[in-house]
Amino acid sequence: MAENAVDPITISVVQHRLFAIVEEMGEAMLRTAYSQILNSSRDFSTAICDLDGRLIAQAEHVPIHVGALPWAARSVSEFFQGDIHPGDVFLLNDPYHGGNHLPDLTAFVPVFEGARPRYWSINRAHQSDIGGATHGAYNAGATDIWQEGIRVTPLRLYEKGEIKRDVMAMLAVNVRHPRDFHGDLQAMIGSARIGERRMLALADEFGWTVTLAAIEAVLDGAERQTRAVIATWKDGVYKGEAFLDDDGHGIEDIHIRATVTKKGGNLKIDLTDSHPQVIGFVNSSHPNMQSAVAVALAYLIDPHTPKNDGTFRPLEVIAKPGTVVWANPGAPVTLCTNHCSQEIIEAIVKALAPACPDRAMAGWGRRFRIAIQGTDPRTDKPFIWHFFQARPGGGASPVDDGWPGGGEWQAAGGIKFGSLEVTEARFPLFFRQHEFRPDSGGQGRYRGGVGGIVEMIAEVKEPARANTAGDGVRHGACGILGGKDGAPHRYTLYSRGSRPRAIKTKEVGIVVEPGDRFVMESGGGGGWGNPRLRVADAVAEDMANGFITRSAKARNTAVKKPAAKKPVTKRRG
Amino acid sequence: MYRIGIDVGGTFTDLVAVDPEGRATLAKSTTTPADPAIGVLEGLNRLAEALGYDRPGLLRETERIVHGTTVATNALLERKGAKVGLLTTAGHRDVLEMREGLKDDRYNLRMPPPVPLVPRIRRLGVKERVRADGRVETPLDPKSLDRAIAQLARQGVDAVAVCYFHAYRNPRHEKATASALKRAFKGAYVSLSHEVYPQIKEFQRVSTTVVNAYVGPILARYLGRLQDRLREAGYGGPVLIIQSHGGVAPIGEASRLAAGSVLSGPAGGVAGSRYAARLLNSPDLIPFDMGGTSTDICLIVDGEPSLAADRGVGGNRIALNSLAIESLGAGGGSIGRVDAGGILHVGPESAGAEPGPACYGKGGTAATVTDANLVLGYLDPANFLGGRTTLDAGAAEAALDRLAGDLGVTRLAAAEGVHRVVNTNMAEGIRIVSVRRGVDPRRFALLAFGGAAGLHVTDVARQLDLGRVVVPRVAAVLSAWGMLATDLRYEVSRTHIGDTGRLNGATVKKLFADMEAEGRARLQASFDGPIRVQRSAEMRYGEQVFEITVPLDGVDWSAADPLPAIAGEFHRRHEELYTYALKDQDAVLVNARVAVIGLLPDLPQEPALTVREPAGPTAERRIYLGGWLTAPVYDLDRLAPAQAIAGPAIIESAMTTVLLRPGNRAVVTPHGWLDINVPLRGA
Repeated sequence: MAENAVDPITISVVQHRLFAIVEEMGEAMLRTAYSQILNSSRDFSTAICDLDGRLIAQAEHVPIHVGALPWAARSVSEFFQGDIHPGDVFLLNDPYHGGNHLPDLTAFVPVFEGARPRYWSINRAHQSDIGGATHGAYNAGATDIWQEGIRVTPLRLYEKGEIKRDVMAMLAVNVRHPRDFHGDLQAMIGSARIGERRMLALADEFGWTVTLAAIEAVLDGAERQTRAVIATWKDGVYKGEAFLDDDGHGIEDIHIRATVTKKGGNLKIDLTDSHPQVIGFVNSSHPNMQSAVAVALAYLIDPHTPKNDGTFRPLEVIAKPGTVVWANPGAPVTLCTNHCSQEIIEAIVKALAPACPDRAMAGWGRRFRIAIQGTDPRTDKPFIWHFFQARPGGGASPVDDGWPGGGEWQAAGGIKFGSLEVTEARFPLFFRQHEFRPDSGGQGRYRGGVGGIVEMIAEVKEPARANTAGDGVRHGACGILGGKDGAPHRYTLYSRGSRPRAIKTKEVGIVVEPGDRFVMESGGGGGWGNPRLRVADAVAEDMANGFITRSAKARNTAVKKPAAKKPVTKRRG
Repeated sequence: MYRIGIDVGGTFTDLVAVDPEGRATLAKSTTTPADPAIGVLEGLNRLAEALGYDRPGLLRETERIVHGTTVATNALLERKGAKVGLLTTAGHRDVLEMREGLKDDRYNLRMPPPVPLVPRIRRLGVKERVRADGRVETPLDPKSLDRAIAQLARQGVDAVAVCYFHAYRNPRHEKATASALKRAFKGAYVSLSHEVYPQIKEFQRVSTTVVNAYVGPILARYLGRLQDRLREAGYGGPVLIIQSHGGVAPIGEASRLAAGSVLSGPAGGVAGSRYAARLLNSPDLIPFDMGGTSTDICLIVDGEPSLAADRGVGGNRIALNSLAIESLGAGGGSIGRVDAGGILHVGPESAGAEPGPACYGKGGTAATVTDANLVLGYLDPANFLGGRTTLDAGAAEAALDRLAGDLGVTRLAAAEGVHRVVNTNMAEGIRIVSVRRGVDPRRFALLAFGGAAGLHVTDVARQLDLGRVVVPRVAAVLSAWGMLATDLRYEVSRTHIGDTGRLNGATVKKLFADMEAEGRARLQASFDGPIRVQRSAEMRYGEQVFEITVPLDGVDWSAADPLPAIAGEFHRRHEELYTYALKDQDAVLVNARVAVIGLLPDLPQEPALTVREPAGPTAERRIYLGGWLTAPVYDLDRLAPAQAIAGPAIIESAMTTVLLRPGNRAVVTPHGWLDINVPLRGA
């Protein structure tokens, strides 16, 4: 044992404490955030990193943030090296300086050992607006990043406890909801300060020497835990491929190719062969690509493994600048936390499925968002509404069917959609239907979760405008190990006097006439395993519940007798 | 006249009778799960015997029975409820199974999806539609309704839940549906959303209405049977059922709103804590109830337990106001294990009661918290729980040795590790619950319940920077006492959305007055004592999604327009919870709530102990606290009021063992409780 070795009990206590610290930061954020996207859909993360940007602990909120924060922390550390003081607060969002995409603003509070900064207490939160050409930052028309919003390179907002009013005013004037911005930023900083206070208390209790050594041991422990799982998988070189429909600017079937070399406790993920970078906003920033790879690994190991620097040490990531997974500076990237993150995750999980069939899950749904802006005739006030309902289906797993309406890969059941009764009371929208979408789940021994259908009338008096952002109207969530793909999305606009038309995933400025009807059918999750091995009882149940219809049953001939192993136990009915 | 409290637990039925002088008599019978009324009547026999009566004699001398039951909870947990059909607005039959899009355990993508209480085949849409403002968009179509009812009849349902869109605003279609259902199904249990939970938000409403239908028939049958048996036995007084919100309700009301008692299990303990807060003159308390598999905590603020509407049982959401009890996955039976990274975890897996900790000698081999406490010398293997059972020290040591091997440390270090990790988890759990509820735990006192709590609570307090810990002498008596001291309570709520800047003050006054009248009418059907009314509202800022509960007791309702005062209370409460208020913003009133409380006469106080000489230690024990030391052992039941004991020391009774650490100082209260001072860090 090394001389400064800490006993395993202290290491364990420190590990539990670290987890509680980031959780408490998250609870405080949830209770104090102002805007809907933060306190409802919980699109924020809390974490502790060290000055080298190594992730020490992260609360389990938004998976796609998990591997991205180290790059942001490193960026701030490097920029302000030697010039970090107690009471400082830093901000950053630029994807070419460590951020994921512009709406994710990150606040950093340093934690000091005496005069020496040791850790960053971090809060990253998706802003309801970040400037740029369109409301809410999702600009499908953008062909460069300047059209997407204000870029914040590492920036000092508080200096030794004093807010820099000029900087704050400049930031606030560049976003459309300065009030939300102020409220959310205060909540972010408050949450990061809790992390600072708790880290200092930890060091106070155990002493800095022990705390630092215990944290090293915690990271090493997570590494051992991850490697132990990877080591059980079959060695080999595996390939997986996933596709985006398009970039909204004419480039179609954009491929992500993962070549995964699994040897012992190591994984080499090579994305070099992915499509060259594209014109539209489905390009990924480098930190976001790293994060997507980390998410894929996190989904395949034991779910309760702590997420820290050690967890991701077994990964070696190889990618090429100028590809869709690592765009060159200046390219638009706002959609990347959804697309192409999801395709990166899917390509990797698909590649590794033969190596770990008892862990690999089929594809989860794609994201297809709509924002409608207009005037509410009941109040004459402007409104903006974001569509979160009709969640797409979750992918089937080696143990069961996928979650109906489980959501997308990158959030996996983490996005809460709002009540439609509340929506009708607050917005000039009327919902005729919000139900599961039959036949949308990919067939398999375990069926993909179904997506949803929303049928909605725009009860405006003046034309409103809609923007979309998403993907997956041609490529559905992938089936795996013989399972079928989930149905892709299908959104249709019915406007009086016009023929019904398919809504594209990347449109800006759709004119919404009074009385227009939207039918939004979201995709289902992929199926797992050969559909012929699905037990007859499960098929009958699906029929009775209307998750599949007769025509679909005919297309996917089910077996007459139960499968030899792992029968689906009768769960419904 | 006596008052009798009856608490039916999983294993035992506890009964207590309190006489007019405040003397309590306890009895116990075995719970009879098939028909819990049998165990209750047997318990009454024993209670009568202990008091020198026969059962009819005791019941003739009894003025009130308060009953806590887990019949509804167990039906839900064990999935043994009614076969429910659900009627919804056509086009919206999947709200229940969509669960607002949320899934627990974010990184676990191999988690099976939850099974809804009503499968899709029994969720049927009916052609009808009401708008957000209450106007009828599509009249209720009788043919569509008949078809749906016929389909449910074919499927043989024994309860029907009805939840239509915006029925909280206009219940006409739900009422018409109820009439049709009553005609079609003789005796079926019908649960209507506008009666169960007349509030906006369809998922919360449908889930609560379905839970009500699921547990209603079973609870109603049980309570009906119990009442019949008590009548046969000669009892003519009221039987009051403990509700999830901590109040009590008569049998008829408890059966109608069955979902309202699903979370009432730990309500007795909370009622006891509320009583303790009064007795100790300590209005801010955190009851800390450490059992075998979990530790339940709750916040008592200003003498009243916190309520929350975000509870659930077995993954089923129940949006009714309930005591905000949170369960931490750590108890005496929690198992210590080492993960592949070498980190020690304790819980949430538990050895439970069967096989239990290794030291119980019932075949358990896993190292539990209790085993660690035994190895550390905190428990006496020959005299556990007052000598009712002995512990197998060898088995505990062997279990800890295995864990120590996995960790690469000594047995003693492993035991200390289990103890420290479980304390850390409990302290952090309390901290997170406090943050979530917007309070600072440091100003609270911890109230230790449960056999295992006394060995952990002082260290948990230290970690939380919290200076006071109280251990009641007999927690079972305290719970019963609390139950008997609980008032009748009706909650009435309505959704009435509007900006306080634009609503009409007179309308809002009338809304609250109407709700109060409804609550009073329900209460006075079975009660003629003094009444207290609490008004509150759920409010938010314009753009926010979550409402907060704002007490409106400080509002002057005689003012012509109470709205500015209501908005003021909201800003103040928001600031209290979240550190800021946005006074230039619209405050939106979403739900109005009125609690009408029928005040029952105060119980006489538990008699104080007679003054006697301080008792010396009964023994000495070697205990491990970073090193072995010899600590005196005291018998809790023999301590004298005002006697002070300094740690390190062990104080034992038949119910619990308390560990005083160095620096802790316990003083015995007039009722024989321990009031422990824990030195604060830096103090």
